[in-house]
Amino acid sequence: MNKILLIIKREYLSRVKKKSFIIMTFLTPLIIAGFYGLIIYFSIKGINDKTDKVAVINENKTLTEKLTSNKNVTYEYVDKSFESLKKNLSNSDYDYILYLPDFDIEQPKGIELIGTKQAGLTLDGRVSDAIEDLIRDYKLKKSGISQADLDHLKSKVSINTKKIGDTGKEESSSAGASTIIAFVAGVLMFMFIMLYGVQVMRGVIEEKTSRIIEIMISSVKPFQLMMGKIIGIALVGLTQFLLWIVLTFSISALAVSVFISKDDARKMVTSGSKITTVNPGAQQIQSTALNNGPLGNVKESIENLDLGKIISVFIFYFLGGYLFYSALYAAIGSAVDSETETQQFMMPVMMPLLLGYALSLSVVTNDPYGNVAFWLSIIPFTSPIAMVVRLPYGVPGWELALSMIILIIGFIGTVWFAARIYRVGILMYGKKASFKEMVKWFWYKN
Amino acid sequence: MLSVRNIVKQYAGHRALDDVSLEVERGKIFGLLGPNGAGKTSLIRIITQITGPDSGEVIFNGQQLNSNHINRIGYLPEERGLYKKMEIGEQVLYLSKLKGLSSAEATKRIKYWFDKLDMGGWWNKKVEDLSKGMQQKVQFVATILHNPELIILDEPFSGFDPVNADLIKNEILELNAKGTTFIFSTHRMESVEELCDNIALIDKSKKILDGAVTDIKSSYRNNTYCIEFNGEADFNNIDLFDVLEKKNVKGGTSLKFKLKGNYTANDLLAHLIPKVSINHFTEVIPSMNDIFIEHVKR
Repeated sequence: MNKILLIIKREYLSRVKKKSFIIMTFLTPLIIAGFYGLIIYFSIKGINDKTDKVAVINENKTLTEKLTSNKNVTYEYVDKSFESLKKNLSNSDYDYILYLPDFDIEQPKGIELIGTKQAGLTLDGRVSDAIEDLIRDYKLKKSGISQADLDHLKSKVSINTKKIGDTGKEESSSAGASTIIAFVAGVLMFMFIMLYGVQVMRGVIEEKTSRIIEIMISSVKPFQLMMGKIIGIALVGLTQFLLWIVLTFSISALAVSVFISKDDARKMVTSGSKITTVNPGAQQIQSTALNNGPLGNVKESIENLDLGKIISVFIFYFLGGYLFYSALYAAIGSAVDSETETQQFMMPVMMPLLLGYALSLSVVTNDPYGNVAFWLSIIPFTSPIAMVVRLPYGVPGWELALSMIILIIGFIGTVWFAARIYRVGILMYGKKASFKEMVKWFWYKN
Repeated sequence: MLSVRNIVKQYAGHRALDDVSLEVERGKIFGLLGPNGAGKTSLIRIITQITGPDSGEVIFNGQQLNSNHINRIGYLPEERGLYKKMEIGEQVLYLSKLKGLSSAEATKRIKYWFDKLDMGGWWNKKVEDLSKGMQQKVQFVATILHNPELIILDEPFSGFDPVNADLIKNEILELNAKGTTFIFSTHRMESVEELCDNIALIDKSKKILDGAVTDIKSSYRNNTYCIEFNGEADFNNIDLFDVLEKKNVKGGTSLKFKLKGNYTANDLLAHLIPKVSINHFTEVIPSMNDIFIEHVKR
């Protein structure tokens, strides 16, 4: 046991002290926090965006009703020729010219939106929506519906999705938030298993090619060496993951307090906790917009997701999935003489992991309670990824327990299997290993 | 101290060791000889408990070989290496801690050996910065650091320049004088004659010869002698020996011959002394190299 501890210590320290580890550990949270900051910055900026001023030249005889301005677009009807306005556009205080020719109301054609800069998709959508509304209103009125009825017909709808949690309490949720968390967790899990599994394989190959293995196994059992390496690298992964979480949160918090003005911060607080503060005029509107808008929903839902549970389950599945796969990677490493030879053995190990990854991010996020999702999150080859992807949507306790137990049995199985190949493989040089050969090794006595 | 009894080791497709037995006496240097692929490494791996035999047993100090013995054996494998990115001192420390030494004790001993073998100042060097010969020295130190009772060296001199080979050879003899037993696996027969007390020759998975080096050599005496002399001698009418080889060398003639029947070397000298002046006379004893080749060729 003491020997395993020594091996774990060496494997851990030799990796944690590496420059690449230190750089990766500190750079990644900066990048994540940067992204996070950018998203927040733009979601606030997007709402504060200035209003586009559009000059409308209406030559249409039927469409006499005017487009109504709103907080995004101001329409100003002008009585000038299209050509002259076009020439002077850069000197005028208009951003765009909307030209409505005298088109047939049944076939609206020839409408032009011209600006000093290309109109974005958002503006395009807003303007065409407004014109469509105008035409529809015209048609409705023509068929005898009064203006009062028309106003009555219009209603704003916003959906609040909720689900009943395990406790029977209603929790506000949003498919958006769950999907974001699910994606992040799935991608992270896949990356972690791949990265650290391959590190185990590299470590084994390094020991084999440098022939230190011969010296090592005269002191320790091959199983001790394999497990020491696997556990040591697992601890490196955990260290990195925990540092990422701590650093990301602290850098984000720091960034929020430094870069976002008090005003914006207050808005974010209001939106998040739904405390309506009395804000003057325009800000009131923005604040409500935030509250009801998608960002408010996502934020609230994230707060409702049990992050503590997700992180601890994530760590369990990282360890389980990593142990499950890294043992196989160790067996591969032991069978080859160099990394270039690993290709043919990597495929069968990578396939279930890749499949689990691809299906988890498509099928499972679409239908987190379906049959495919269920089986993917039970079978140990795919459960580490599938389960963390399903988790934000809510997973029944017994499914989680079953999946965890099967994963534990699974990794004990792969570790046992890999150890039998490893103990023979590490002492075979210059022999091209094949699957047939490996099966033979498996049955070797002692 | 080590007794290998009727070991059989079967690998898929071939038998690596076939009923091999040998005795290694305490305080002796034991040579394990044999061509490549004969089964030497398989046998060593059984003694170092890297693998186990299919049948047969190994007795170490009167006990069945078990995991408690691992720390009392030192092994320098033929294919050997070190962690390339690790510092030398740290690495030897790690290896000796795996053999059960405490940090403090290991550090003390490493300093002692580094000083003794001109390796002062190597502590913080990385393995990749050392030449192959320098790495071999580090590995040698790592092998002997935990004061094992039995040290197994597989081709210990490969990769050493003559100066360092001599240095290591002296260390081996010094440790041996203090009572350490050695098993020494090699193809280099001259070092066998210099160092080994006893040998076993393994070929094609079987032990084909063993015993004390001096006994083996004397059993291969076959009344062959070599003489160098000045002057002319007529050997035609005497029936003492068969001439095996005759050649002219600087300052005379060299003659290699085999005595016939029950004649002794004295009879021959009595015959020659009146006729020629003798510069050199020696019995031709086959070298271990000749014995090795003769046995393996069979």
